[in-house]
Formats: sequence, structure tokens, C-alpha cells
Amino acid sequence: MSDEPTETADAAEDGGAVVERTRRRFPSWSRAVESEWFVVGATTVAVALFPWLFARAPVVSDLLNGYQDLASLILIWGIFAMGFNLLLGYTGLLSFGHAAFWGGAAYAAGLFSTQVSSSPLLIVAAGTVFAALLAWVLGFVALRRGGIYFAILTLAFGQMMYYMALSPLSGITNGENGYTDVEVGQLFGSFHLRYPVPGLDWLLGTWQYVFVGAITVLCVALAYRVLNSPYGMVFRAIRENEQRAEFVGLNVWRYKLMAFIISGSLAGVAGSLFTIHGSYVPLESLYWTTSGEVVIMAVLGGVGSLFGPILGAGLYLYVENITSGIRELTVPLTDVVLLDGFGAYWHLILGLVFVAVIVLFPRGIWGLFRDVAAGIRRLGGGRR
Amino acid sequence: MVLLETRGLTKSFGGLVAVDGVDLAIEEGESISVIGPNGAGKSTLINLVTRMLDPTAGEIEFKGESITGYEPHEVVQKGVSRSFQTASIFPELSVEENAQIASLAAEHGSFRLNFLRHRDNYGEVEASAREILDAVDLLGQRNVTAEDLPYGDKRRLELAIALASEPDLLLMDEPTAGMSPEETAATVRLIERVKEELGLTILLVEHDMEVVFNVADRIVVLHRGAVIAEGAPEEVQGDPEVQEAYLGGVEA
Repeated sequence: MSDEPTETADAAEDGGAVVERTRRRFPSWSRAVESEWFVVGATTVAVALFPWLFARAPVVSDLLNGYQDLASLILIWGIFAMGFNLLLGYTGLLSFGHAAFWGGAAYAAGLFSTQVSSSPLLIVAAGTVFAALLAWVLGFVALRRGGIYFAILTLAFGQMMYYMALSPLSGITNGENGYTDVEVGQLFGSFHLRYPVPGLDWLLGTWQYVFVGAITVLCVALAYRVLNSPYGMVFRAIRENEQRAEFVGLNVWRYKLMAFIISGSLAGVAGSLFTIHGSYVPLESLYWTTSGEVVIMAVLGGVGSLFGPILGAGLYLYVENITSGIRELTVPLTDVVLLDGFGAYWHLILGLVFVAVIVLFPRGIWGLFRDVAAGIRRLGGGRR
Repeated sequence: MVLLETRGLTKSFGGLVAVDGVDLAIEEGESISVIGPNGAGKSTLINLVTRMLDPTAGEIEFKGESITGYEPHEVVQKGVSRSFQTASIFPELSVEENAQIASLAAEHGSFRLNFLRHRDNYGEVEASAREILDAVDLLGQRNVTAEDLPYGDKRRLELAIALASEPDLLLMDEPTAGMSPEETAATVRLIERVKEELGLTILLVEHDMEVVFNVADRIVVLHRGAVIAEGAPEEVQGDPEVQEAYLGGVEA
């Protein structure tokens, strides 16, 4: 406002009106983009198109080398990273033990599927409830401390869960072999998750993808609503200045616990889907490297946004699953082999990608997109 | 009516007694200024009253009720708000959001399970935030990111945050520290105006004597944690003990 040029007295009225009108055109567009219907709608379209583009579309899929199963896996990790980021990016709390919720829910879902019901929806519900309760308990203790102490406490809890599953509880969890008795039934008793969707299998693939995709959209809608509720504002206030938040009369401790529970629950949704996706719970799902991976995904994608971490999850899994499959690195369009056994270096490649993104685009991939979009808009504005 | 009362309020850090048996009573509508040399325990006193620190001994009563065991946010909810020595704001949020957060806490209390309700449904929060921003002349800059404000405006934003909590008692810790003379004068005018408009009771910790004499009805002098003098500005000014301890014998 203050940087508007001052108008001369006689032009003030007309000029002011013009400025007002042109200014209003963009806000109405950006308001539409920010509306919930737009976000949920755009997410639905993106989720629906994703497996086709990734695995079956001409040219694009040949370049990407993607496959159906990885598309579901990216969405599942995307939910995990998005939930994790509610805590890191929005509330400013670095948890280094989110494997506890992901893996805990994965085991809970697996056990539930054998012991109680094999309905996919109920499996996800069971895993999520378990993760939420676990987050409540762990958060109650870990949130007593801030900063690095909080990170270490969550790490310690995560590792405790890992060792519990490895040895004392191996009678239930099947120890280091992972839980193999997962039974996944049919969705609503009639849709077999492994079967293709009749008529739409070219677009969506299997019922499993539909199931995972629908829950992804639901989770995005939920997270977006939370961020646009009073909680979203309070979370960011806590991130910005915890002391001030307390001294405007907010119960910071309870809001932090809620952030932890919401974040843990989303990790639980993802962990349960992971069990359904693989019909198996690997012990590594509780290991600290899983907690580390989700941190990397969130930072890679951009912690300042809701969608960034989903992109980060996509890029991470892409390098892990596709790039690692490339056997030889050749000079393009020739047969000259640059490096044999290229794929074996995928960790190194991921490291390089990570360093490049962080150095060049500190706000992650999403931040890069935003900058590009802002640049284009500025070019358009300049011409007018 | 006595709004705030402390009895024998004491805080020691190890062997150092920062606040030493302070008895203080603030009447509703009064403006009190606490002065004293560096390290006299002025900020510690504010931190004790707002429950940022636990007292070693003593009692704090607000509106006739003990708040000694309260959490800081509970004290704010009771009606005690404060500003900090450094502009304590939410730097990466807009000016309007800064005020909205404080209004939210005032309208909704310290905690609510409303994480699935869209914030467009909270018109009263937006309205009261705008009202407060208008009162401190920051409404025009409501879309500016708070950290981009000039220093004086940041302090005013902090005052807005403190006021948006709808306090009965406002504690200010050196509100004009680091300000230019013009900014200081503007701040004094602002404090006097909001005090009148909102019927606030004010406790001011301040170094700048001009500010103190302008704002305060009554002055409390702290020296080494203890109250050594108390009274109207003119009385305190003439007190030989105060001149000795605080003004260093210089005739004011």
C-alpha cells in the first residue's frame, strides 16, 4: 500500500479506481486457487491422472519409466510426508521418530487384518487409531522438551518401538522377518484390490490405486482444512514465536500435542495403507532410517507448503526405485558406456539431488515451482 | 478496587536475590511506573507477575484471586497482558495475522477443539483484530509481513498484540527502548490514548524518565530487588534515598 505512487490531486480519483480494479483481478484468482473446492478438485484430478502419466501415457511414461505400483507407493509416502510436515513446517517441531507412527500403524493394521477384520477400510481405521493414541502418549512425554531434546526423545521412542518389535514382541510381530500374515479382503466386500477397474484401468489401474488415491485426496482435504482452521494460525504462531503465543493466552502445550497427534494420525493412515499395499510389514518400517527418510522427503519438497512434501516423496521414491534400476549410464543416443552398475549408486545420486535442491532452491521443489509461477505472472504483468 | 497485589514477592537465582519481598498494590485505572537502576529486578518483577518465572516466596493476587500457581496463558486469560523488551511478534506472518492470533486467544480462550472449522467462520476475530490495528494506526499495513516493518512499527504491533488480548492490566517492559525521540513521543501518545479508550491499568518498566513522568500517576523505585520509595512523581523525584540510589545524586 505504502509503495503505491502518490497521485496528483486531480488524477487521484480516476487513477485510484484503475489501480483498485487491476489489483482486484489477481486477488480474485488467487482466492479461487486458495479455496478448498479448488484444492480438493485439483488434487483429485492430479491423483487420477498420475498413474496414467507415470506408467502408461505415450512418450511421458517412456521417459519416466514409471509403473503402477510405484504410483500408489508415492501417494502413500506422500501422505506420510505431508502429515510429518504439519509438525516440522507448520508448527516448527522436528520429530525424528515418526517411524513409530508409520511402522506402529503398519503393524497394528497387519495384526488387525489377521485377528479382527480384513476389510481395507477397517484396517486403515485400526492403524490410524493406534497411531493417534500412540502419538498422544509419546507426545505427552516428548513435548515436555523443545528443540534438539524433542528430536532426540522422539528418536529414542521410535527406536524403542523398533527393538520391541524385533525381540520382546517377536511372538506377535514375527521379529526380524517382518509380519507376513497380512490378509487384505475386498473393498466393501465386492472390489478386489488387485483387480483392474473395469473400463478405467487405462487411467487408474487397480482398485487398490482407487482406494489409496481416494484416501490421499481425503487426507489432503483434511490437512488443508486444519491449516485453514484456527489451528493452522496457532501452529504457525507457535513456530514463529512460542513465547509470544503463550503470552497472548494460548495453551501452547495442548496445541503442540494436537499438532503431534494430527501429524501422527496421518502417518498412521499412510502406514496402514503401506501394509495393505505390500501385504507385508517389514521390520524396517519402525527403524530410524524411516524417520530420516520422511525428514528428507519433506525438506526436499519444501517444508513451507502442504504439497511440497508429497513431491519430495515422489522424487525420493523415484530415485530409489527407478534410477536404481538403470544398469548402465550411457552417453545419450550412443552405446558408449560411461558407468557400469550406475543404479547401485542410487544413494549417492539421491544425496547429490538433495544437496542440489537445498543449495539452489532452499524452499524445496514446491518453492521452485512457486518462484517460476511468480516469474511468469510478473512477465505477464509487465507486458500489460 | 485493588487490581493487582503482590505480598512479599521474592525471587532468588542461586545466591542472588533479584526481587526481595516486594509488596505492591495497583488500583484499577492507575498507571504505575517501576523504575530503578540496571539489575534492580524490574524485569524479574514483571516476569514473576506474568508467571514466566516461579517466585521463591510470596503471593500474587489479581482481582482478589491468587494467580501464584497459574500457567502464563491462564494469567493472560484472566486479563493480564504484557509486552517484551524486544519487539516480540510473529515475524513471518502478516501484521493482520499477528493481531488475529491474539484476538483468537481472547475470543476463544486458551484452547478449543475446532481444527475442522474453517476460519472464515470467525468474523468476530477478524473484526476485533482490525479494530486493534486501527487503534495503533497499523491498519494500512495489515498485509505487510511483520518482520518487514520498521522498528518503531514493530513495537506498535507488539502493543497491538498485547491489547488484542483484551487485558485489564497491561505490563510493559521498556516500550520505548531503542526508539528515536520522535518514535518515543509517538509511543507515549499512543499509550495515553489506548489507556483512556480502553480503560486500562498500566504497569510500566522504563528507563526514559520523560516517558515515566508523562505516563505514570505513581512511581515505585526498586533498588537491589527491594522497594525503596513509592509515591507521586514529584515526591519520588525529591526523595534523597532515590537520588542516591538511582539518579546518582544528580539533581533532576
